[in-house]
Amino acid sequence: MLKMKDVGKVYRTELVETRALTSFSLDVDEGEFVTVTGPSGCGKTTFLNIAGLLETYSSGTYLLDGQDVSELGDRQRARLRNRKIGFIFQSFNLMPDLNLFDNVDVPLRYRGMRASERRQRVDQMLDSVGLLSRKKHLPSQLSGGQQQRVAIARALVGEPRFLLADEPTGNLDSHTAAGVMELLEQVNESGTTIIMVTHDDSLAQRARRNVKILDGRIQSIDQLADSRIPATPVSDRALSANA
Amino acid sequence: MLFYYLRLGALSYRRNPVLSTLMVMAVAIGVGSYMVVFTLNYVMGGDPIPQKSSQLYHVQLDSGDPDTESDPPEQLTYLDSMALIDADLPFPRTATSKFFAIVEPDGETRPFSVMGRGSYADFFTMFNVPFLFGSGWDRSADRELQQVVVLSRELNERLFGGVDSVGESVLLDGYNFQVIGVVDDWTPIPKFYDVNNGPFDPSEEVYIPWPQIINLDMQRSGNTNCWKPLDGSGIQAFLNSECIWLQFWVELADRNDRQLYQDYLDNYVREQKQLGRFQRPLNNHLYDVNEWLLLREVLPNETRILSALAAMLLGVCLLNTIGLLLSKFLGKAGEIGVRQALGANKASLFIQHVVEAGFIGLLGGLLGLGVAALGLQGIRILLGDLMVTDWIQLDTTVVTVTIGLAILSTIVAGLYPIWRACRINPSTHLKTQ
Repeated sequence: MLKMKDVGKVYRTELVETRALTSFSLDVDEGEFVTVTGPSGCGKTTFLNIAGLLETYSSGTYLLDGQDVSELGDRQRARLRNRKIGFIFQSFNLMPDLNLFDNVDVPLRYRGMRASERRQRVDQMLDSVGLLSRKKHLPSQLSGGQQQRVAIARALVGEPRFLLADEPTGNLDSHTAAGVMELLEQVNESGTTIIMVTHDDSLAQRARRNVKILDGRIQSIDQLADSRIPATPVSDRALSANA
Repeated sequence: MLFYYLRLGALSYRRNPVLSTLMVMAVAIGVGSYMVVFTLNYVMGGDPIPQKSSQLYHVQLDSGDPDTESDPPEQLTYLDSMALIDADLPFPRTATSKFFAIVEPDGETRPFSVMGRGSYADFFTMFNVPFLFGSGWDRSADRELQQVVVLSRELNERLFGGVDSVGESVLLDGYNFQVIGVVDDWTPIPKFYDVNNGPFDPSEEVYIPWPQIINLDMQRSGNTNCWKPLDGSGIQAFLNSECIWLQFWVELADRNDRQLYQDYLDNYVREQKQLGRFQRPLNNHLYDVNEWLLLREVLPNETRILSALAAMLLGVCLLNTIGLLLSKFLGKAGEIGVRQALGANKASLFIQHVVEAGFIGLLGGLLGLGVAALGLQGIRILLGDLMVTDWIQLDTTVVTVTIGLAILSTIVAGLYPIWRACRINPSTHLKTQ
């Protein structure tokens, strides 16, 4: 599904050169739930942005579903993001002017889907996160947990195979965070691959694997006890890491 | 997606009402002010008779003072006008001039003065004069000195209550004229057929066969210029003089006709030279309506200065709009990042923001119409004592141009801010939004 080999990312200004990722190699298989942890500034989000095609990388190779993404233009990258990748952010990033329905509808708009199909999908998605009755509400009328559920609905409405979550529980209290985490686990159980960046070790332990990053390099990849039963059995995973 | 983008534009307006309103006002003031001047230029400089303007020619013969280097006179002498009228040529033509008369209505209404125009029969067909009742006279009326009159719609209202007055009589300067036609509303702007006597003056209230002005010794009105003293006194001396006071127009269907007529004019002047007149070099001209208006600089120079000032004001307003749009669009960096994450490519984001800028332009254009209407009202009040100002108003063309200009200029002003916004690295803002 995701295959990075020796990926490097360097930010350059006139005075400073910052290496955000160095020789970063990671394989993630279909249906996996991988958490990424590490101290602030270690390169977690940079990795996630490169994985989500929101940023380019400076060196190495990155194959998404076997496709080398380095040669893709803006239009093709946008199409891949729209069809294969879902994003969940720490601060939800819902659009404040749009009601819940319209927020969840955004990815389908860019897909050029017909209105009737969009309506059906959005309603179904909002229903699955328990917020259908509030679809005309604005994000500001919801609690943090509810907003994150809307963000998850938006990320999933296009039925992506790959979900990237950047500290999705970072702005939530522990009780709400647990609820969101359960929701993500259900999503993963339905077959969606998830990579989640988190600072919370207890949440990181709930994934199949935990990738620890330090100073832009993978420090370790921990195979964790699998308490969940994935819908798609994952076996003989190719682990590839270099610290 | 257009309606979706329009909706997003409206929502964006609601999110930043103060900033958005400032932009709308900047566009409205800039475009509205420009449209005031545009309207003046558009109407004053427009083609007053587009169907025939390239077939109607003003005749200019250089009968001027040979001892000066002045431009050829704008009008013709009586002698030359009569010669051109009597020429054995098939082209419709008319000599024309203004006169002043007293109308003596029946009943208790007191006599009042009117401005009239003497012309030849072809005047009405040549200039597409619209008739409410009846028609103009035919050429026999010119030859036979018939006392017939065509009234303006307003005068017909005043004298006959607006009913069909054809066949009725009107007393002009004590002479009985029979009404043969009533002109419908007709105010060519500019009054191309007589720009010497006020290109923005109202149309005349009565029209009579031109020979009657001389025959009945009616009071001539309008510009008269003489470079040579009259040879004697009295009307005949004036008619035989080199004084210019008549406008002369001829209708020529194509370039061949024009060449024929030009040759005729040149031959006529050569003949006159042999008689001791036209001592300047041969310099006769035929100007079509638009050439004539351009030559006579009907559009005052002040309007050009006003145009430049209005364009500068529009530029300043658009510069402000650029700044405001930059602030607005860069303030949406987070949303732009999220949309990119959700599948928007740079082209679709660009279009979304072009539509948003266009939406602001549309609102600016609508408000600009109000600004333009106010400005034109001010001009009407300002010029009301100097000329007819009914024509100074917003018409469909001006409304369309105002809204189109507002939308287009706002989009152009928005291109740089939009370009900057679409270059935002989405990842920078997704974490911090």
